Amino acid sequence: MTQDWRGIFSLKEAGVYYALLILLFILAAIASSRGLPPYLGGENLGNIAYQASLVGIMGVAMTVMLITGAFDLSVGSVAALSAAVLVGLAGSIGAFPAAIAALCTAAAIGLLNGAIVQFIGINAFIVTLGTLTAVRGLVLILTGGRSLMVENPQVLAELLTFESTRVPVFWAAIAVAVVLVAIGVAKRRPIRIAAAAVIAGLAILAGPNYAVAAPVIYLAIFTTVMWAILRHTVIGRRLYAVGGNAEAARLSGINVHTYKMGAFVLSGTAAGFAGVLFGSRLGAINPTALQGSELTVIAAAILGGTSLFGGAGSVVKTVVGALLLFTLTNGFNILNLGANYQGLIEGVVVIGAAAIYTVGGRRRARPLSLNAAPASSAASEEPAS
Amino acid sequence: MVTDPILQLEGVTKTFPNGTVALRGVDLAIRSGTVHGLLGANGAGKSTLIKILSGALSATDGTIRWKGEPVNWSHPRDPRRAGVATIYQHIPLVPTLSALENILLDQPGWKRERAQDRRRVADVVARLGNPFALDELAGDLPIGARQMIVIAQSLASGAELVVMDEPTASLATEERETVYAIIRSLAREDGKAILFVSHFLDEIVSLTDEVTVLRDGRAVLHAPTETLDEAAIAEAIAGRAVTVVERGDNRPAPGGTVLEIDRLASPGRLAPTRFLLRKGEVLGIAGTLGSGRSELLHAIFGSDPAASGEIRLDGQVIGRYPDEAVAAGIALVPEDRSAQGYVPQLSLAQNIGLAALGQRRTHSLLLDENAERASATTAIERLAIKAPGPDALVTELSGGNAQKAVIAKWLTPETRVLLLDEPTAGIDIGARTDILRLVRQLADDGLPVILVSSEFEELLAIADRILVMRDGAVVCEADPKQASEADLTLMAGGSRKQQAGANA
Repeated sequence: MTQDWRGIFSLKEAGVYYALLILLFILAAIASSRGLPPYLGGENLGNIAYQASLVGIMGVAMTVMLITGAFDLSVGSVAALSAAVLVGLAGSIGAFPAAIAALCTAAAIGLLNGAIVQFIGINAFIVTLGTLTAVRGLVLILTGGRSLMVENPQVLAELLTFESTRVPVFWAAIAVAVVLVAIGVAKRRPIRIAAAAVIAGLAILAGPNYAVAAPVIYLAIFTTVMWAILRHTVIGRRLYAVGGNAEAARLSGINVHTYKMGAFVLSGTAAGFAGVLFGSRLGAINPTALQGSELTVIAAAILGGTSLFGGAGSVVKTVVGALLLFTLTNGFNILNLGANYQGLIEGVVVIGAAAIYTVGGRRRARPLSLNAAPASSAASEEPAS
Repeated sequence: MVTDPILQLEGVTKTFPNGTVALRGVDLAIRSGTVHGLLGANGAGKSTLIKILSGALSATDGTIRWKGEPVNWSHPRDPRRAGVATIYQHIPLVPTLSALENILLDQPGWKRERAQDRRRVADVVARLGNPFALDELAGDLPIGARQMIVIAQSLASGAELVVMDEPTASLATEERETVYAIIRSLAREDGKAILFVSHFLDEIVSLTDEVTVLRDGRAVLHAPTETLDEAAIAEAIAGRAVTVVERGDNRPAPGGTVLEIDRLASPGRLAPTRFLLRKGEVLGIAGTLGSGRSELLHAIFGSDPAASGEIRLDGQVIGRYPDEAVAAGIALVPEDRSAQGYVPQLSLAQNIGLAALGQRRTHSLLLDENAERASATTAIERLAIKAPGPDALVTELSGGNAQKAVIAKWLTPETRVLLLDEPTAGIDIGARTDILRLVRQLADDGLPVILVSSEFEELLAIADRILVMRDGAVVCEADPKQASEADLTLMAGGSRKQQAGANA
């Protein structure tokens, strides 16, 4: 198995990991120089992951969406609608049925988005911009413009359990690390072993009694499942093919409509799940909740190097992108760095990341064709011949 | 007529920053009033040379003299100002602007539409025989007319040397004839110098005055055209004697019927068509661009949603969507390999494995990457695809090798009928011969093939039967053992009256 080490550790491939590490160490250095409690402690890192979990879940689905070459601006509104359905129905039909109803509503909106995009042929940007507004309107209608909350204390307790339980992760993390080492050794993938070392290191740093909030676990499971589907299954390959060149995929016998619509349904459902978590957090929803979160979700995917033109992207890097954004937010709050600067810095980070991916992508094309002895001179000619 | 060359290259070399040497010292002299042919296999350095002439790349070493003066062109505007216009194979027009505005795109000035510009352009276009209306949107015009727009653009800018990079590769026969006529009149009557790049030996022989052949970054042949024939040029290109596949007649007789096409039609594109395809047979479809030949293949493959009719494979009716056709074992190699054939972000192995994803139905959902790479490696060897390995990107390969990759993806045991739409368009003669041999071999091994081609000699060489199409209908059937290229051209492109005569 040959590994292209320069490629794997290049800014383009691994930039988002470097950025997160550098940011964490800068913030840690500032925290320690001011005599604040240790920034890199388990408590704070768990908080960042918890704050990033909703955007992370939506971001993973958004990445799949972007891989297929489409776009979903409606996730913030859909999540709010899902939360409103949950909070509105939980009192009368119970927490679990209400959560199912909320997920179904969100999936139905995803299906509607997908059907309009695929069968009428309107650009996804326009369709989901429409549903962004329309679904927000639906939330206002459902809530009557006021905050809703769950009155029944027993149902409220169920919701809180679902969202706020803290799950001890020490042994789970050790187990994951062991499995990764085993796979890494068996298949000679040093990257797996490195990832295992990072996980084990964090677990030991945090201690055996360390626990994280449930949404972090949901995010981790969802990311792992989607990563495995994209990386190791035929479905994943087809999703990349559909986004990379829909016509070539269609003429290779792939049902392009199914995969594109599937991505919309997944995106809607993931937004619905994020909404369920959001509604469960407080047992209440106000009609402007999660407004603008769709842009944070897309920013996370871009930070993770997902192409807006389809055919490329990684869910793991999107999650790291979400962590990066929330580390910025968290750092500004904890260190009291002046919240007014936050938006400016976040925007610069997103554009900077996109610039690195674009420029890095151009540079990378050359050294690769160097190995292509017979085809090398033809490589640059293919567009003309 | 020995005049001083308008453009002269002496020892031009080009080394890319990564160390790839594209040109190793090329001498080239182009004279006004002549058509100069430039040939070479994919990767021989033609495109690099053209990019240097157009200012898109600058030469590493060597001298370029324009009208005797050494010049150093480092930006596309430099040669354009000097009077060199370059016409690329893929025409960079703005589809949402009119033909006129496209022609005036590179002209200076402030005002968008000036009457004097319009008159000037109208004159130029009239000299070309008015192939398009000035106010029509470029995107609405057929590809031949778009080619004319670019030629008009180069004339309107007052070019003295016109570099044409395979201007006829995507044109049908009549459109080619028009382009040839224009090129001849530009050279003979207007005294322009033309550098004409092509893969087609016949057009080089009939059109050009001088020929230069590049191989591995060197000019290996430079001679007046009248001293050469196609075989000599082909030998210079390949560095060895080559022939396009010779017709062999001792092949097994086709077996039983595999595919039945019945009342297959598509409104406005394809008149009701029926024919049979037998085991081990290559059925050639001869027709010019727009004759309905690609439409026929797409109707069979189910990728034309408006098509109606019945397709039976071994007596089983197959569905009307591409995924159903693929699952049944029908394979299509589409005409435009970059737009329809491969996924640029995926590796060579992944692209070759793409068809297998659609063909297998209920097996495991898990990808077996090792098996995929192994079968891709086999295919790469079998088709002699020149690539660094199965993990290379298809976009890094030359046109001929990318085309082989698109064909390779269908070489699975599940493929039962192979449809090929212009598989040899725009690729060099070596790859072309490889592909034609492969197609014949596949058919001899029992796979029925439908081959669409504008190169009638290819059909005559490897087809068992030829259907001639025109205006969306099959007009007659030809026997490749008896018909000649001229017969097919007449049947496919002659007027209706001649047609009746040819049939009688």
